[in-house]
Amino acid sequence: MSLSALTISGVDKFYGPIDRGVHAVKNLTMEIGKGEIVALLGSSGCGKTSTLRMIAGFEEVSRGAISVGGRQVHTLPPVKRNVAMAFEGYSLYPPLTVRENMAFALKAARLPKSEVDAKVASIAKLLEIEDILERYPSSISGGQQQRASLGRALIREADLHLLDEPMGQLEPQLRAVLRGRIKHFIKERGLTAILVTHDQTEANALADRIAVMEGGVLQQFDTPERIKERPANLFTGTFVGEPPMNVFEAYVATAAGRINLKLPDGLSLDYDKDAFSAPVRDQLLSRERVVIGIRPYAVRRSREGVPARVSANQWLGDQTHIAADFAGGSLVLVEHDRTRLDLGAPINVSIDPKNLHVFDQASGKAISHGMELA
Amino acid sequence: MASLELKNIVKRYKSQTVLDNLSLTVADGETLVLFGPSGAGKTVLLRLVAGVIDPDEGKIFIGGDDMTDVDAEFRGVGMAFQNFALFPHMSAFDNIATPLEAKRSSQGAIKAGVESVAKLLKIAHVLSHKPRALSNGQKQRTALARALVGSPPLLLLDDPLRNVDAKLRFEMRLELPRLLADRGATVVYVTQDYKEAMALGDRIAVMSQGVIRQLGTPEQIYREPANIEIARLFGDPTINLLDVKPARDTRGIYVGLSNVQVHLAGAYETAVGRDCVIGLRPEALSFVEEGIPGAIPVTVEAETPLNEKIVTLVRTVRGREILVSRPAGTLGRSEGKAHIAVDGKSALLFDHASGDRIGSKNVVALRNGEAA
Repeated sequence: MSLSALTISGVDKFYGPIDRGVHAVKNLTMEIGKGEIVALLGSSGCGKTSTLRMIAGFEEVSRGAISVGGRQVHTLPPVKRNVAMAFEGYSLYPPLTVRENMAFALKAARLPKSEVDAKVASIAKLLEIEDILERYPSSISGGQQQRASLGRALIREADLHLLDEPMGQLEPQLRAVLRGRIKHFIKERGLTAILVTHDQTEANALADRIAVMEGGVLQQFDTPERIKERPANLFTGTFVGEPPMNVFEAYVATAAGRINLKLPDGLSLDYDKDAFSAPVRDQLLSRERVVIGIRPYAVRRSREGVPARVSANQWLGDQTHIAADFAGGSLVLVEHDRTRLDLGAPINVSIDPKNLHVFDQASGKAISHGMELA
Repeated sequence: MASLELKNIVKRYKSQTVLDNLSLTVADGETLVLFGPSGAGKTVLLRLVAGVIDPDEGKIFIGGDDMTDVDAEFRGVGMAFQNFALFPHMSAFDNIATPLEAKRSSQGAIKAGVESVAKLLKIAHVLSHKPRALSNGQKQRTALARALVGSPPLLLLDDPLRNVDAKLRFEMRLELPRLLADRGATVVYVTQDYKEAMALGDRIAVMSQGVIRQLGTPEQIYREPANIEIARLFGDPTINLLDVKPARDTRGIYVGLSNVQVHLAGAYETAVGRDCVIGLRPEALSFVEEGIPGAIPVTVEAETPLNEKIVTLVRTVRGREILVSRPAGTLGRSEGKAHIAVDGKSALLFDHASGDRIGSKNVVALRNGEAA
């Protein structure tokens, strides 16, 4: 991935006059390698869709530059950017059948008919739209249109594939297998793909790296693994992950060689000072208040530990989600086996310092993850 | 205190039968989930119980009393809907108070009732706001508060979490059981989300085309689905379904998967030699070393992480796709050649032609580590 497929340098987007209008994207800089799948992830209004539309050429760049394959493109019209797209506002051509829609760009590129037919057949099979190839867009469901539009983008050879909420409308029974097939397809051909989604599940499933955006600002650009293990701030930590990260405010106290993280309701997480690495310990001891985060899978039930009381126990077939009243709030645990615990049952929970995320109380910025400083 | 009993309910709209001789009993204090695709008849059923519409045939009993011809306001039923249905010109407080106003409760009782339920639902700070000033999550909590405030013995919840975002849906899913249990209400809960159905239902009624196709505990529905369609509706990733023809050898009944014999545990004598479909839940498959008996050779196509699980799409030598899932952090394969093994005890077998599950009883394999 040494070759850069896309470079975004210092890009701003204003709707309205520059510096006075709505500042939708703020000084965005990103580099995406050839063959990467990148997800732009965030809730509505975070700037992800504006970013995608600037890459595609549907929106002007207010400030900064965008290059595709080393070539500056942000002043070029969309058709000159060699970018394939599947998104809203770029819908299927109504007078053409699904097959004709998918074949359109290939025919324009003067590919032989036999090759076009073979490509359409293979993508149609992958997306399970073989039986609607001769239908017109108006006569198929929203989910089918979405798959047809995705097929029309994936079939093309292009420097970049831009996919806007590509699977939002799929029926749930198809989702897992289509995610696997699409990822395999993109990887096998070495395509570079950027998808925009508000669904962190989708981003985690498909992307090599996720760009988490909020308020027009890139919060973190990292692998799914690192975002889970080393979230840059509270926003990223709680936005990515299902069930979400447990978060509590804590006062830091020390006594007799121990560090106590004091929680509401008189509870406290007590650790030997040596349970933390020296840099993390120093950081903790230099602060009065912090915010701690614990992923649900990292909460362990144990004989000792801090008392909590079960408030929900929900078995979903392959996972159990348990909620417990804890420190004036709710603590969520995930276990992979079925757990039999009645509502109201007392449990004790322990949190290994290895799994403790510490955030700055004022800014929300990460201070440490386990034994390492952020 | 209110049980609910529906006897031979028929409801037609013009020539279409939307509920076809449906009978159902919900015990006092039970939460029953109606689960199924849109058009299955779930909402019509709720509206019949509420008394908003009348059945063409059949009887409705609430708390043992025949309510079939009783007007809606005298049935003692609270209801919340997916579109919230709040009065736009009224504050959250006044919206929540409507059932108490209708009962002509005293102003003091209304204030106390609304404030107590608002506190439980964490909307006490927005009671003076009009609906347009509320977030979707607050609207949904306001609608729930209105359904709960009169402590109706029977509560009808029509997909109340459908229009809130994933995070709130998750949070409410964990909070609802206690809210409902505290009120001691009998609940009929409509949803299209299988996780909600399993998490909230004491029992689940799976509906399609106006008929209950299966009624059982979440465990029964998940481990012993009546047919392929129901097996596909519960579980994420979706259950793997592969065509097989069971045969018998000295060790028992087996199916061939990529020329490997996988022996099944279960009463499958009637399936021998028949065209069948085997159902393998992704979590019942695991990556194993080559050479282990029953190991099936596959090629890994893609790895797609999913909420504390890793889902892997693999392809068998015969080109069949299989999804395997495992807890995050456990070992698997992310590319190249690999071998997978089937837990024969948790395999499900279906008749190819009818789609019905085969075997009178299914061996329910409790997994290791099942805590007491």
